[in-house]
Amino acid sequence: MIHDEPHGEQDPDVTLLRPYLLTSGRAQPVDQTLEIEAQVATSRRGATSQSSLTFEHRDIVELCHTTMSVAEIAAMLHLHIGVARVLVADLAALGHVVVHRPAAALDQDVDMIERVIRGLEAIR
Amino acid sequence: MVIAGGFGVGKTTAVGTISEIKPLRTEAVMTSMSTGVDHTDLTPGKTTTTVALDFGCITIDQDVKLYLFGTPGQDRFGFMWRDIVHGALGALVIVDTRRMDDCYPAVDYFEKAGLPFVVAINLFDGQLAHNVDDVRWALAVGEGVPVVTFDARDKLSVRDALLAVLRNTRSRAQSRPANAP
Repeated sequence: MIHDEPHGEQDPDVTLLRPYLLTSGRAQPVDQTLEIEAQVATSRRGATSQSSLTFEHRDIVELCHTTMSVAEIAAMLHLHIGVARVLVADLAALGHVVVHRPAAALDQDVDMIERVIRGLEAIR
Repeated sequence: MVIAGGFGVGKTTAVGTISEIKPLRTEAVMTSMSTGVDHTDLTPGKTTTTVALDFGCITIDQDVKLYLFGTPGQDRFGFMWRDIVHGALGALVIVDTRRMDDCYPAVDYFEKAGLPFVVAINLFDGQLAHNVDDVRWALAVGEGVPVVTFDARDKLSVRDALLAVLRNTRSRAQSRPANAP
């Protein structure tokens, strides 16, 4: 969260905590290629070890019993998007969540582009 | 897909108009200090600005979802763009003809990143203050960049703008030699 005016009027939604405090200051995920639209689901291991996890890790594992994107996790838990990427990548490396990555080079995949065009054209 | 453009230009509205989920966002009320910087005086009624990210989602079919990410328009949030642009199908750069220079950072960034984009003039109150050729000239975008008009509040109009982005990306993909990386 950008906060230009630390001594000004407080916005209840703005925290003065530095966002990357939650990641011990790491701004880069263990997997630096993790997309913000990647789909995240709690694994069986994540579900069984949920009670031993702490804070945001636990929140994410609880939330992702329903599959959702990294961006949605960030919004639901009020996390900075970059922080959510770091935390999800950590959980994935530990096997607590399974991440389904989008296909690579989508902008060159004519079949996929046409599929999306047909999908949009169906919107009325 | 990326939805970009200057402050108050209609990114949030466009995402909200077509998304099937309630758009998720992190928005903070502008402080009085930054109000001058962000020209709210030229955008009557706009009192908040996006400091993080708006996004919505459209289900294309059983296996495919299209995510729409509204990026903060200002240069000072440029550090976020890399994450958003990575893996994107293309971008829609929304332009308010009253403040055309607000979209320069986005246009510059997408040109450098090689992401195909379409310029969409948001018709506030149905008025087109400049003609489309003037906008193309002012933005100095090439003939290969489509410039369209749309209304961010109208679902079918937003759909058509997104279709323009996809068709542009498709023609770029088709014109690429088959053995190119």
